[in-house]
Amino acid sequence: MSDARDDIVTVGLLAEGMHDPGVPPAGIRRAPTGVDDLATEHLIVNMGPQHPSTHGVLRMLVELDGEEVKNAEVTLGYLHRGIEKLAEHRRFDALGTLMDRGDYVSGIMGETAVALAVEQLMEIEVPRRARWIRVMMAELNRIATHLLWYGTMGLDTGAMGPFLYAMRDRESLLDILEAVSGARMMFNYVRPGGVVADLPVSIEAKIREFCDAFDTYVDEHDAILAGNEIFQARLDGIGVIDAEMALAFGLTGPNLRASGVDFDLRKRRPYDAYDEMIFDVPLGVTGDAMDRFSVRMEEMRQSSRIIRQCIEGMPEGGYTAKVPKVLKPPAGEVYASVESARGEVGIHLVTDGGTSPYRMHYHGPSLYALQALEDLMPGYLLADGCIMIGSADIMLGEVDR
Amino acid sequence: MLPDANEIRTLLAGSGVDAEVDTVLLGTVARVQAADAIDALAAFRADGYESLVDFDGMDTGEAIELTWRLRSYSMDCEAYLKTTVPYDAEIHSAWNIYASALMPERETAELLGLRLAGHPNPKRLFTTDGIPPLLRKDVPIRSVEEVKNR
Repeated sequence: MSDARDDIVTVGLLAEGMHDPGVPPAGIRRAPTGVDDLATEHLIVNMGPQHPSTHGVLRMLVELDGEEVKNAEVTLGYLHRGIEKLAEHRRFDALGTLMDRGDYVSGIMGETAVALAVEQLMEIEVPRRARWIRVMMAELNRIATHLLWYGTMGLDTGAMGPFLYAMRDRESLLDILEAVSGARMMFNYVRPGGVVADLPVSIEAKIREFCDAFDTYVDEHDAILAGNEIFQARLDGIGVIDAEMALAFGLTGPNLRASGVDFDLRKRRPYDAYDEMIFDVPLGVTGDAMDRFSVRMEEMRQSSRIIRQCIEGMPEGGYTAKVPKVLKPPAGEVYASVESARGEVGIHLVTDGGTSPYRMHYHGPSLYALQALEDLMPGYLLADGCIMIGSADIMLGEVDR
Repeated sequence: MLPDANEIRTLLAGSGVDAEVDTVLLGTVARVQAADAIDALAAFRADGYESLVDFDGMDTGEAIELTWRLRSYSMDCEAYLKTTVPYDAEIHSAWNIYASALMPERETAELLGLRLAGHPNPKRLFTTDGIPPLLRKDVPIRSVEEVKNR
């Protein structure tokens, strides 16, 4: 699959030798075998669309035998806004606003995907400073996204405290993102050609202050949950997605890497300034919920590392290339993808020489993770299903689009 | 990374699929007849393209163009498979070749007005009954005034 590389770190309980690979960890509850002997009438439970464990407007129809899931079916569409259709009626520089409303927690990365697609078509050379700013903003956004996931993952296992700590750190991040872009969620900051404005004066000090604090906090976050015996018992060995299954279901991002597949677009298809950054790619071993947790925790540390490099080495120069006010790419077809917080966000853009896309397809990783969940949940207890949804970190905004 | 167009041509020819393969701005693209699409996907799968990472369609104004984006992690490359089908056509599901096709096929069929054959759950994914295929060019988006006055 890959050459031996020194920029990979293996994470997870197994990697830390906390239990023998062959022996199931103590405390794992499984549906008892032989339930057919005591068969009860199956119950269809309508979980969602407003259930807190579904992380958005996801509705799952779950067929239960006692507490064991027999079948699970995902029902979607509660957040469908027709983003792909709307894109056909937007100017190219306004497509980022639609991406912000897709995965509305990782807006910077979605905006970057669209910008890269337009830049490819128009052969726009993005200034080096703009590329570095994009990388820094994307990594700040990645930590903010992972922190939200971390907090809700804690809630899924009954831990309230980690959510509050995560929101404390996320608040500092959103302040920084707001100072740079003017918005806390719908950034509309990355545009074809660069970014919309240069970094504000003295923002570097604020970011450095955040990184200094966060490097300590992230270890605390990790220890609070991963060091907790109950949390380990709830995640360890749950929802195992091996590499073969991950590839079959088209998983990308942290969910894929937790299954041990070494593929990170920032390394394999470097865009913006990622080829100038030094960072490690965390990989899981077993592909269970605990590995997905550990991979994301390590990714936050690596993001902080990248942000520090950006602050220290931020090049001088322009923050955007000279681009026309109304963008009019030539007729053509491109596919641009970025490593977003939840996986690969791809934009398949087809143009006809006009001022709007002829067709824009928005690929998000969460739809593919949901397919795997349908296959994964049967055989587990319903409570384990909530852990699987939480550990897969789905975003309904980009599923429904 | 771009796979070699000749290799893709040879690969598909080995499975009896006549393909037009070009390397363009999008990448290495193989165009096949609609009837050969499933055989072509099977050939890609057998050749080490382990993952279908994206599937979508487009209304060209005359027909529906379908695009499969395939990735080989072992060879570290991506290839595109394209075919064109008439409006309202029936397309055969590729879910037993690539499990990841399950939901994207439902989405594409629903939003472009196609019918799915061989799919285990060929239902609408996002919209409710009565909603027209939104990504067809002849389906307009409503103006603000129209929405206000509906």
